Amino acid sequence: MRELASLVMEYYAECHRAKAEGRPVGWMPPMNGGIEVFYAMGLMPVFPENYSPVCAAFGAAPPHFETSEAMGFSRDLCGYMRNILGYVHGDMHGPLEPMGGLPEPDLIMSFGGGCIPAMKIFQHLERRFPHAKVFRADMPQVALDDIKEHHVAYAVSEMHRFIEFLERNTGRKLDEERLHEAVNLSDEACRLFDRIMSFRRNIPAPFGASEIGLMFVMVTRQGTRTAVDFLSRVLDEVACRAEARQGVVEEERLRLFWDNIPPWYDLGLLRYFEKAGGVVVAETYSSAWSIRLDTGDPIRALAVKSLMSYPLVSCVSIDRRRDMVLRACRDYAIDGAVFHSNKSCVPITLGQADIMKALERELGIPSVTIDGDHMDIRNFSLAQFQTRADAFMETLLERKGR
Amino acid sequence: MEIRPGNPASPAEPFRRALSHRGELLEKAARACAGVIGTACTYTPFELVHACGFVPIRLWERPGVVEKAYGLVPGFVCPFMRRCLEEALAGGFRFLSGIVQAYTCDVSCGVVNVWKNNFPLQLCRSLALPYNDGARSRSFLRSELMGLVDDLVAIGGTFSEDSLRRSVDLYGRIRSTLASVLDRLGRTGALGAAETLTLVQAFFVTPPETYLDMLVRLEDELPCGAPPDESRVPVIVSGSVLEDGAVLDLVEESGMRVVFLDLCTGMRALVPAAGAGEDPLESVVDRIMNRTACPSRSLPGQRARDLVLQAESYGARGVIFLFQKFCTPHLADLPVVMAALKDAGVPCMLVEIDGNGIEGQVLTRLETFATIAGAA
Ligand code: SF4
Ligand code: SF4
Repeated sequence: MRELASLVMEYYAECHRAKAEGRPVGWMPPMNGGIEVFYAMGLMPVFPENYSPVCAAFGAAPPHFETSEAMGFSRDLCGYMRNILGYVHGDMHGPLEPMGGLPEPDLIMSFGGGCIPAMKIFQHLERRFPHAKVFRADMPQVALDDIKEHHVAYAVSEMHRFIEFLERNTGRKLDEERLHEAVNLSDEACRLFDRIMSFRRNIPAPFGASEIGLMFVMVTRQGTRTAVDFLSRVLDEVACRAEARQGVVEEERLRLFWDNIPPWYDLGLLRYFEKAGGVVVAETYSSAWSIRLDTGDPIRALAVKSLMSYPLVSCVSIDRRRDMVLRACRDYAIDGAVFHSNKSCVPITLGQADIMKALERELGIPSVTIDGDHMDIRNFSLAQFQTRADAFMETLLERKGR
Repeated sequence: MEIRPGNPASPAEPFRRALSHRGELLEKAARACAGVIGTACTYTPFELVHACGFVPIRLWERPGVVEKAYGLVPGFVCPFMRRCLEEALAGGFRFLSGIVQAYTCDVSCGVVNVWKNNFPLQLCRSLALPYNDGARSRSFLRSELMGLVDDLVAIGGTFSEDSLRRSVDLYGRIRSTLASVLDRLGRTGALGAAETLTLVQAFFVTPPETYLDMLVRLEDELPCGAPPDESRVPVIVSGSVLEDGAVLDLVEESGMRVVFLDLCTGMRALVPAAGAGEDPLESVVDRIMNRTACPSRSLPGQRARDLVLQAESYGARGVIFLFQKFCTPHLADLPVVMAALKDAGVPCMLVEIDGNGIEGQVLTRLETFATIAGAA
């Protein structure tokens, strides 16, 4: 896990290298099957939404917000959107931009199957980079339980259209063997990620939510050997820690669940619970990257992945999300759940009330709501967070008889 | 929406009454047909739902203080959807058999899913719409619509190509008649903007056969009206859902004249009146593909072009954006749309509706805007 920082730096360095070498750079949203196709074709995928947490962590988000808000983008819009639009309309390679900024896109892809802000981000990026070739996919927006064959068939046809677009605009041919390999690697990464996460069922858990940065590799390196090798090493490290019964805190007294995107500007907040022996051992957000792929049919696998990833964690499939949270809380022996009511992400926040009720009703697990924002610190009050977290932990400890 | 007492002499009075009594009327209608199906979005094809024997309606909000819905949805989602949920929690939608929500906005779809978990309905589903237009997208949309038909039939509906043809014709007539009535009203100033809104709102909650009768009667009886008061500044009102016309009264009190309602609850839902196609299902697909796009389905540049053209064709000298607070699709396009209007020499302003009534300062802002737009 210590390697993560260098992995992050290496990814952004490669983005810049690709641009310098003339390897086409494409900007796209995360959580779709485009990434495996990109790596299989030797193209460089860049994820502007994923750059936003980096900006938040480096304190670069506030000036980006200032820029986009001055352009007229409302403070009520998702922080990823305000951050990235502020960034691209500012000095993109200025000294304050983390990782040297992002290389400008040669290609811009939007996949349609995400939330409205994700779609709008790319529509505005198209305007900002008019020379970039644009591909707009139509992945159907459908709840997991309602996915029918015609949705999959259409998603498959969109994947084919996407590949044709890339071949036409980059002059590169997709080698089926390489795609197969990328999908195998992607599936292997999901399997490893799942294994790593499942070690957190151990008591004590070998690592907590503040290590969630691990997801970076799932967002940016799906379909590569880099991801598989890195995750294999993490798995070994985590297995060792688990075997040695090495926990996050000296005495793990409370096991917590976190719902919604974490506050990227201060992941240390997730460790606040540790002062009372509380460790966040599972979260909803990371589940989006544990979808296994049917490697026998790579294009179909990527189409299905594109259909499933976003509904799995958002209000498109509240029922499925609720079941997933309930299952995780059971499997991970959770004492209490923390629901981040996240002003920057309505799609993930909607439905939380129902999930909280179900947790209490079906498993007797209490929850607390923390008001905040995963990007914009102005919508977060540390004092309120601490008061609520303290009171919650006090209640949980009392219930457990200390 | 608070239905305000009306003027008995107004041609809009039957529509206002239909709105006031929509709950009782729909309870009655539900007993006389396969059921009533709700939606929060005008992209759900009413004709298809109707062809299966149901009365399609648009959900409405509950006026007054929101209490119960705060326990189910966060405070930072659009107040319209929160208030629709409040109305449901207060028992206002007991007659509903189901909800069919076209996936347009994250909030409307999310709230519908919340709804599903709190009120048992026979059917609660979303409808996936393509963003692109092309043979493959159209064929996908056909399959999606046929999937909806299957679900409606499964809860007691019946469907045939003939019934769809009749429903397509019926809704085509309604939309074209309504459009021509609104056009006449816009050119004569016979009705105020809030009353005009009432006409359109009644469309969303009245069984279509009844609504068409009301509309035809209105068309026959429509007073010629005086020519519009040219001293008032012509403006377009553009935005998302608008349920309470009080703000339109304020616009008029400030010295402006509303020449076009570019709202989800206005003309955007009505144009075009019908689609083209070899069979009726194709015409439903074609209409969805060609309808005046809402920001949740279009590019910001397209919205900007649409509004600049509307401003030109209606001679509008300003655009007032009326958005439900936190409305992501509209807010996301706003900077581009405003910049395009500014370049075209059309001033604009934004009023956000938070569901708690219009603040006093809004009138002052509108008066200032009227002066600016008048001078532009
Ligand atoms: S899913 Fe949430 S955080 Fe991601 S872009 Fe959409 S609104 Fe923003
Ligand atoms: S008013 Fe805006 S946020 Fe509310 S349902 Fe309509 S599009 Fe969505």
